[in-house]
Amino acid sequence: MQEQDTALSRRDFLAISGFSVAAAGLMTGCMRPPEEMVIPYLEQSPEMQPGQAFWYSTVCRACPAGCGALVKVRDGRPIKLEGNPDHPLSRGGLCAVGQASLLGLYDEMRFNNPLLHGKRVNWAELDAQISKSLDNLAASSGTVRVMSGSVNSPTEHTAIARFLSRFVDGKHIEYDPAPASAIPAAYEITHGIRILPQYRFDRAKVIVSFGADFLGTWISPVEFTAEYSARRDPEAPEEFSWHGQYETVLSPTGARADKRLALKPSEQIAALAYLARQFGEAGIPAPSLTNELRHEMDALAHRLEKHRGESLVVCGLQDLDTQQAVSAINHHLGNEEQTVLLSSPSNQRRGNDHALAGLIEEMKAGSVDALFILEANPVYDLPDSELFAGLLQQVPLTVALTERSNETTEHMQMVAALSHPLESWSDSEPVNGLAAIQQPCIRPLGNTRSAATSFTSWNHENSSDHDLVRDRWRTMIYPASANGESFDSFWTQCLQNGYAPIRDESTSYPPWHGVRSTSQSSERKGLELVLYSKTALPEGRHSSNPMLLELPDPISKISWDNYACLPEQEARRFGVHEGDYVHLKVKGRILTLPVHIQPGQAAGTVAVALGYGRDISARFRETGPRWLEDDVNTGPNGLVGVNAAPLLELRDGLIVTHRSSVTVKIAGGHTDLAKTQEYDWLDVPEKLTPPDGGHRDLLVEGTLGDYRHDPQHFVPHPHMEGDDLWPEDHPYYGHHWGLAIDLGKCTGCSACVVSCQLENNVPVVGKDEVRRNRELHWLRIDRYYRKNNSSDTTASFQPVMCQQCDNAPCETVCPVLATVHSDEGLNQQVYNRCVGTRYCANNCPYKMRRFNWFNYPRGTEKERLALNPDVTVRSRGIMEKCTFCVQRIQEGKQRAKRENRPLRDGEIKPACQQSCSAGAIVFGDMNDPNSEIARLISSGRSYKMLEELNVRPSVHYLAAVRNSDSTGKEVHHG
Amino acid sequence: MQSKMITVVLSVAVLFAFLTLLPDLQAVRLQGNDEGYAPEQPIDFSHRLHAGELQVDCRYCHYNAEHGKLAGVPAASICMNCHRFVSAPFGAVRAEDKLATDENRDARPVVSAEIAKIYTALGLDSTATPDLSRTMDPIEWTRIHILPDYAAFDHSVHITAGVDCATCHGDVATMERLRQAETLSMGWCVNCHRDANETGIAGRQVNAPDDCSACHY
Repeated sequence: MQEQDTALSRRDFLAISGFSVAAAGLMTGCMRPPEEMVIPYLEQSPEMQPGQAFWYSTVCRACPAGCGALVKVRDGRPIKLEGNPDHPLSRGGLCAVGQASLLGLYDEMRFNNPLLHGKRVNWAELDAQISKSLDNLAASSGTVRVMSGSVNSPTEHTAIARFLSRFVDGKHIEYDPAPASAIPAAYEITHGIRILPQYRFDRAKVIVSFGADFLGTWISPVEFTAEYSARRDPEAPEEFSWHGQYETVLSPTGARADKRLALKPSEQIAALAYLARQFGEAGIPAPSLTNELRHEMDALAHRLEKHRGESLVVCGLQDLDTQQAVSAINHHLGNEEQTVLLSSPSNQRRGNDHALAGLIEEMKAGSVDALFILEANPVYDLPDSELFAGLLQQVPLTVALTERSNETTEHMQMVAALSHPLESWSDSEPVNGLAAIQQPCIRPLGNTRSAATSFTSWNHENSSDHDLVRDRWRTMIYPASANGESFDSFWTQCLQNGYAPIRDESTSYPPWHGVRSTSQSSERKGLELVLYSKTALPEGRHSSNPMLLELPDPISKISWDNYACLPEQEARRFGVHEGDYVHLKVKGRILTLPVHIQPGQAAGTVAVALGYGRDISARFRETGPRWLEDDVNTGPNGLVGVNAAPLLELRDGLIVTHRSSVTVKIAGGHTDLAKTQEYDWLDVPEKLTPPDGGHRDLLVEGTLGDYRHDPQHFVPHPHMEGDDLWPEDHPYYGHHWGLAIDLGKCTGCSACVVSCQLENNVPVVGKDEVRRNRELHWLRIDRYYRKNNSSDTTASFQPVMCQQCDNAPCETVCPVLATVHSDEGLNQQVYNRCVGTRYCANNCPYKMRRFNWFNYPRGTEKERLALNPDVTVRSRGIMEKCTFCVQRIQEGKQRAKRENRPLRDGEIKPACQQSCSAGAIVFGDMNDPNSEIARLISSGRSYKMLEELNVRPSVHYLAAVRNSDSTGKEVHHG
Repeated sequence: MQSKMITVVLSVAVLFAFLTLLPDLQAVRLQGNDEGYAPEQPIDFSHRLHAGELQVDCRYCHYNAEHGKLAGVPAASICMNCHRFVSAPFGAVRAEDKLATDENRDARPVVSAEIAKIYTALGLDSTATPDLSRTMDPIEWTRIHILPDYAAFDHSVHITAGVDCATCHGDVATMERLRQAETLSMGWCVNCHRDANETGIAGRQVNAPDDCSACHY
């Protein structure tokens, strides 16, 4: 008792501390925030208005597909890449990889200086060193080789060719880490000319693909998606196409197919040979097929036969005979110059593995005197990396032209630091007849140079990359493209448009030579392996990009890893479960990977994604919050994933991506793969099945036959009972924003996810946080597998963002009114009011609210330059979610106000809609009866997710339609 | 016992603090409210002279206000539109002219100390021609109007709607040294928006949004 008298009671303690806090608050109230300075320009150019964004057209260089891009530049720095809607190939889309390539510009791991034996030097020193060696080689007729990935820039080709012309023996060798070289090799035989045809999916009424993931990774996915989806709209006047996919691993393309059959590579090879023979191609030896497969191929042949000249057969296999069979099928069906353009071929994959094999032989013989490697990483990409690394040591002069350190630069004597594409001039000619200019939007951040400049200066010539591009355009493009205007106005016009069509180059249509079977019909035994590319990370070059590593794979929904995909029966046979480590063994090469059990994969196969396990991915070891229980993002090898390239095979002048006689052994050990979706099917578990059916209607899908039969009753609408809890006291007099998402067009490519992430400053949280379901993506794409009788497992994709409910359940539970409704139907999240109770997330039926558990690191000061200054960077303890890109809505409204006119429909595009190459997402004002969205939501396919909850979401989904006959099933109505 | 003593001591402390702060009480404001802030600037620029006496339109120098979010501090090149020719007060120039006539020589260029700072920043000599031996050195002004964090504001729409610059920036035309005239607090913004929706601006009906997401995103 006595003790209590002398001690401070709890009450007093609180009183005193309360007083101190109040006093402190009072004192700080008097204090001014730290002084801020404004430093205006000394001379302000009209293109430098503070706070205003300017857009420049350029070319995306993340892959050789050559999509047109627009760069948003604010206050002198590029902050966003978007598709150029006027570009004839990409038509406004830009894939996830292209979007994320912006981060590369501000990457701290880029080379800022040229290197000589690992030491920083200046350009004069490096050039002097290289020129000295080259002058000797030119005098002594030395052998000089330039090795690169596919280069679709004519200016760079010219610069390289001029550089090589000094030497008696100079050659440029291109190869692709994700190869398609079997196609040109086949055309060399069947048509006598080494070309990659330009495919036109928009002209094909029947599309048949054997293992080509043309909507995800194959050659030019953005272009193909735009073309493909033009014929996948049942309300459009174009005839709805039929798409058959015959593949090993379930790809995003296969997921959308009308007919999908899981086939092993050997079965695909046999099936194509059989098909070619069906169309009268006798040059191909008869394959052995199962009766079932023969039956399928007969049906397919029948369908193709009915669509001569308007069908398209493509194949992604690296097999010369099979690609000859595909060429023959398209030839005999009369598809050439209809859907397979041979007169205006593509430059999007120029790899020639035959030349690559030749180079390796030359290096083995020690006859290469100088090797220049331009933005390629052969030590990582090629099957025999130790061999190649060893051979590099024996070449007297090795120079890498690259942006950042990679497995190959370690073995090179010199590094010529390459500028980022947003820092340098270049051009592209993705298909013959279309040229585009790549213009820089910022000065090089480091002491770097473009490839064309480097090659030119080693030739003792001094031209800037700007002059090289402009000169080439003056001499080559201008005469073939301009319509009488001066070159200066033509150039300005092309810079604005981003491209220039080139008039007929009079490339004649090559005649048919016939097939010449190489007949290495190697008997395929045992388990077959397929090395595929992931949509999020198509090749190892992008492994330094955290956004792409965190982006879940569209099919497996796994981020931060690659894994061995096994079909269920195979997993059962080996007794492995999801996440168990296994050893994959092919001809002495062993890879240790976790297992992922993949529905829809062909029996007797295993599949591994290429592009992982890059040395540079060790930098992500500490990505995400650092805390006690932390698990690193990297695997046992200290890297993100495992490099599967050692399992490739360079055989008969082709990089082969399918192997046979693979063995799988349990390695022991287990890992939790970072999966963002744990419910894979829409079936209701048996014990929960209601009496009237066991299927959830979250994602509605039907057949074209049913839709044609009764378009207005295509989608079941629930019967609503009782009165509305909320009175009708919140009418929308002005705008009422809404989204319509066409599930039939969505390919799951995830460009929208990355676009949203960049636009809205969403941080990368790391593998450990993803495992705890704490990923922060404001937009997720749900993937649901489905099985139907006529085909193997397919899948449908459903992009889910905040549904901006009119009767929003989150709003009623927020104790501090941090989430409230706007007059335009937006569910607003006010970050500075939020105290982080997370009640709203708990009450959201769509689970689309995201909580900042930590202050997620956002890189160095330089890396933070990629942030969008128009969107708040949220701190720890704040709830966040999709805002319908309210900053873009405000910007659009402000522009209209400034110009004293009403808003135009389609003027405001959220980041997700802008990037969608399929045109699956449409944003607009639902109150405007003439808007595109009003048309879409009145469609018979339109429905809302969980409509029965009466939360009245503003996001409308259009049910997916697949091209098959009517099921005769009556749609259930509540 | 002790608790009572503490209370007494604290009360005395509060009273003492209150008395010491009394002369400064006007400075006691809510955090973030910088009304009346008028820091010293690197150049003694007078808005009273330019906007008041000489009647230069606000938007001549702050032209960006019509086009975008930020009005911005004008670039030094804007100053030079006039100060290429006006390098000192008229009186000083006249006096030099007179002196030159008296001494029978050419008049020397007269540059006032404040205008000389612009010339120095742009690397110009006293006749306002570029001097390559000098370096360009931007002028660092002290920022006065700082919008609270998490709030977005666009000047151009307010100007389009007919809001007078003085509504938010005060009667700048009378200020020798620029001073923040209003609180720039959220309540102040919202009150104006609500009033504008009822009364209109300059006789025109306007649509001033009062949604959170009008400013916060």
